Amino acid sequence: MYVSPGHPKAKKKRNWKAILKKNAFGWAIMIPTLLLFGFFVWVPLGKNIVMSFFSDANFSTFVGTRNYELLFQMDVFLASLGNTFKYILWSLLIGYLVPILLGFLLSEVVHAKGFFRVALYLPCMISGIAVVFLFRNLYGDEPYSILNVILGLFGLPAQSWAGNVDLIIPLIVLAMTWRGAGSTALIYLSSFQQIDNAMYEAARIDGAGAWERFWRITIPSIKSTMLTLLILQIISVFQVFYEPMIIGNWGGPVNSSMSLMLLSYKLAFADFNYPVSAACCVVLALIILTFTLIYQGVVKLLDRVSGGAKA
Amino acid sequence: MIRFKTHRLREKTQGLYNFSDYKKASGKAFYGIAITILLLFVFIAITPILYLFFSSLKTLEELNSIHYTFFPKEWDFAKIGVVWTKVNFGQYFLNTFILVIGCVVCSIFFNALLAYGTAIVKPVGYKVIHGLVMLGYMIPTTLAILPLFLQIAALKDADGMPILMNTYWPLWLAYGANAYYYMLFRNHFEKLPVSLMEASSIDGAGNMETFLRVVLPLSRSIIGIVAIFSMTASYSDFLLPYLILQDDSKQTLMVKIFNLSSATTLDPSEFLLVLSLSIIPQIIIFILFQKQIMGSNANSGMKE
Repeated sequence: MYVSPGHPKAKKKRNWKAILKKNAFGWAIMIPTLLLFGFFVWVPLGKNIVMSFFSDANFSTFVGTRNYELLFQMDVFLASLGNTFKYILWSLLIGYLVPILLGFLLSEVVHAKGFFRVALYLPCMISGIAVVFLFRNLYGDEPYSILNVILGLFGLPAQSWAGNVDLIIPLIVLAMTWRGAGSTALIYLSSFQQIDNAMYEAARIDGAGAWERFWRITIPSIKSTMLTLLILQIISVFQVFYEPMIIGNWGGPVNSSMSLMLLSYKLAFADFNYPVSAACCVVLALIILTFTLIYQGVVKLLDRVSGGAKA
Repeated sequence: MIRFKTHRLREKTQGLYNFSDYKKASGKAFYGIAITILLLFVFIAITPILYLFFSSLKTLEELNSIHYTFFPKEWDFAKIGVVWTKVNFGQYFLNTFILVIGCVVCSIFFNALLAYGTAIVKPVGYKVIHGLVMLGYMIPTTLAILPLFLQIAALKDADGMPILMNTYWPLWLAYGANAYYYMLFRNHFEKLPVSLMEASSIDGAGNMETFLRVVLPLSRSIIGIVAIFSMTASYSDFLLPYLILQDDSKQTLMVKIFNLSSATTLDPSEFLLVLSLSIIPQIIIFILFQKQIMGSNANSGMKE
């Protein structure tokens, strides 16, 4: 910072009293929140890591990596690890393109803009717990479960949707997409709206049709948003929890919808197997951390690429 | 049929399709398809909610009948009163309200103070603190729910009674340690012009005075956003409240819904009604604050 010679700050002599005052004030306002972060975030996370190497929650005996060995020998753990990749696959198939399409259409439509936005965003406002109970009803085998009502219209027999090993993950992803798509669509919408209109104009003068403009201008312009949201979506899918608990009735049928998050909860609060649950949490945290680092690397890379293009 | 005001299309200058494209038949076809697809998705978004409302107002016999109709043949409004008293709904609404108020206050107060410290006051060591907070942001706090729960349960008074169990304190204070709200505040404070702060300190105002007189009045919008976020988040919060509030009279709506789902107190149609009643406040919040909610949502995609 440039400081003019006449400015009081130009005086070489440091004002120790002011510096001390500033630091005392700064720490005084930060300490209450830091205590909360310590109690609610840092200490539990640390304890979780330590506990995964001990025999119980009181840290009685150090057992090395035994909890991890036990965890990796559990069929249900291996099943949920595999399920996680099924969740990711299905969420990319069902959930990834819908918000892009909606965001694009919202940016192009000029009629009833507000109505479309509000209606599409509405499901995001409903709490996760209410949504999973609602979808458990839609997928159920009661006479009023909507999927079976639709089948009945075509004269087909009722199915046990949530009881089907092959269907439970797609059905869960459908419920997640129903709730989340509107919010993601708005992120894409703002990204579509930021496209420089001059590019479209120039392409029109060059005689480019709509199809060509779409692939040459629209899609390349939202590439970085698409990439970052892809990674964010994968991170959020790793944390799927309420859906397999309620819709899948505790990860069922036969663990076909069990997720790592639900498993770690079940190990702790149903089986009271604290240390193995802690190990499961550490494994999940490492996976999420890896994807987060990839995400941050990608964001930095994109910044550099777009920065270079401007220069 | 609805007749579109086509002059709006003739005035459209932005985007992939503009007024010149809409003169062609292909442009008109595209617009028709676009509107149709959007209407289809609106239908998908709204129908389950309407299904819930309408199903919950059917009588149990009608709900279980094999002749399904979307709208109730007989609107059973009397059921609302019956269920309300049967579940003691008012109590759980009140509990949820108490929880939400405390969470909103803690979200704003604690996270704003920390962000003010690291973004503006910058005492020695502030970078380490910022790094630690952001580290916690990368790992979902749900992962450490077991040690946290054991920690809360272990805090006991002289008589061996747990202090924090069945109270709202741990749930309120947990919202004071939220890395996302902290980051929203910090991003806002960092954008404030430094000259304002300097002018205030040259005028002889103390640090606290600068915060109260200069920074706070400029932060109304971000305080509003964090308030709305924490309001909707704490209303829907389930896991920690479920573990902490084991005493039925203290439970929030979401915890109660979860417990009712496995109990036989309510028949299926009454349970659906409880679900319906529980989402009405969220829809009201949305209608009141739709601009802020949808506006801040669009900016939240590009975190950091």
